Amino acid sequence: MIRLENVSKRYGAEIVAVRDASFEVAKGEFVFLVGPSGSGKSTLLRLMNRQERPERGNVWVAGRNIGELANSQIPQLRRQLGNVFQDYKLLPNKTLFENVAFALEVIGKPRHLVSQQVPQVLELVGLAGKEDRFPDQLSGGEQQRVSIARAFVNRPLILLADEPTGNLDPATGEGIMSLLEAINSTGTTIVMATHDHRVVNAMRKRVIQLDRGVIVRDQERGVYE
Amino acid sequence: MIQRISYAFRETIANFRRNVTLSVAAVVTSAVSLLLVGTTFLIQRAFDNLLVQWRGDVGMIVFVRPDVTEEARLFIRQNLESQPNVIDVDELVYLDRTQSYEEAKRVFAGDPTTLSLLSIDTIPSQFKVVPITTDAELVRSLANQYRTLPGVAGVSLAEDEFEVISTLSSFVRTVTIGMSLVLLLVAVILIWNTIRTAIFARRREIEVMKLVGATDWFIRVPFILEGLFQGLLGALVSCAGLWGLNQAWTGGVAGFKPGTGVSSLIVPDSYANGVMVALLVIGAVAGAVGSGVASSKFLDV
Repeated sequence: MIRLENVSKRYGAEIVAVRDASFEVAKGEFVFLVGPSGSGKSTLLRLMNRQERPERGNVWVAGRNIGELANSQIPQLRRQLGNVFQDYKLLPNKTLFENVAFALEVIGKPRHLVSQQVPQVLELVGLAGKEDRFPDQLSGGEQQRVSIARAFVNRPLILLADEPTGNLDPATGEGIMSLLEAINSTGTTIVMATHDHRVVNAMRKRVIQLDRGVIVRDQERGVYE
Repeated sequence: MIQRISYAFRETIANFRRNVTLSVAAVVTSAVSLLLVGTTFLIQRAFDNLLVQWRGDVGMIVFVRPDVTEEARLFIRQNLESQPNVIDVDELVYLDRTQSYEEAKRVFAGDPTTLSLLSIDTIPSQFKVVPITTDAELVRSLANQYRTLPGVAGVSLAEDEFEVISTLSSFVRTVTIGMSLVLLLVAVILIWNTIRTAIFARRREIEVMKLVGATDWFIRVPFILEGLFQGLLGALVSCAGLWGLNQAWTGGVAGFKPGTGVSSLIVPDSYANGVMVALLVIGAVAGAVGSGVASSKFLDV
């Protein structure tokens, strides 16, 4: 589903974000990218959704070498990906329903499909009945659920999550993790960057550890060291 | 498809509302600049009416009585052609009564009273004379000579009739075209800046749109439409202004005594309408260009 071949990425001439990274993620896998801040986790995610282009090496996503995609083909790639962020990136002037519907509307999904799929996914993330609230009327955990709903409403092949529990207390974070696990069990591949020990140790999934841009460990059912 | 179009329009209107002050500034500036462009056209046309008789370097017009005999007319022509040192004989043009009447219709467009006094039977025919000498005195003495010829109703000299107007006309044209071009540029820059602000205000939304896979054009179109509407709205306002100006002008000109020449400064509605269509097109294009450049520069999609 995802394959990186000797990928390197620098910001400017000096700062090396990722150095010679190679790994493969199979369909339906759940992978943690761990490491301290600045170790290159976010850059790897940004390479996978083509927010960044690799300087060297190839990034394959869903069978396509995305470093070579023309700009006009990027939207097609992104429609197969869902993105979840630490700061949720919800639109404050839209209701919860509109925030999720937005993801379908801007890719031109017909209205009847929107009104059918959005309630379904809100039910899945446990926010049924709160459709008309605005983001500032929701707790952090609820906002992250909305963000996950928005990422998942288009049934993407891959979900990329960048520190989704970073702003949440442990109990709320657990709730988010079980939601991601449920989504993973539907066959969606999940790659999640985190430096939250508890989450990683509790889940016992594959762990790829980074240190200053270099992969130092790739372990099945690993823990955060 | 319909859904996408309605999305684009909803976003356009929402953007406009969010940014009222800047949008209004852009609209007013484009309105003023386009009004100036339109006024330039109308002034040019008004002067043209006045100068139509003298088009093509005509320096002297010899009017011939409508009831002139063929011999007398020929005698006048021979007299004109006998002065190849003063007159460009090849350029000598004779307008018969029918042609003169057609011309008069334009000259007296704003002066129906005078026009109604004229008919094909009563209008003088005319020789249009292009002088080759630059010696104005020579032309003038020749004109005095022709006035005494049998069958000549009168002689007009360009120098007396329109030299001032011609100078004035080109001066006014240069100034108004210059000013309207500068203002048009300002309008484009203002529209450009409005769009930049709109994009900045919505950068979060745009980021999300890009991440969920909206196409570049889907993101761009509302912004381009917004600029296009600003230009078009400005053009509409300028059209209203131009119409009002032309009505007031027509009314004012009609108050002048017939035959003073001022009355021919009138601009027919059909021409003014044509100018308005041109303004709408210029406004829309200027708006679309300003916003198009801004949206491709600042969206970074």
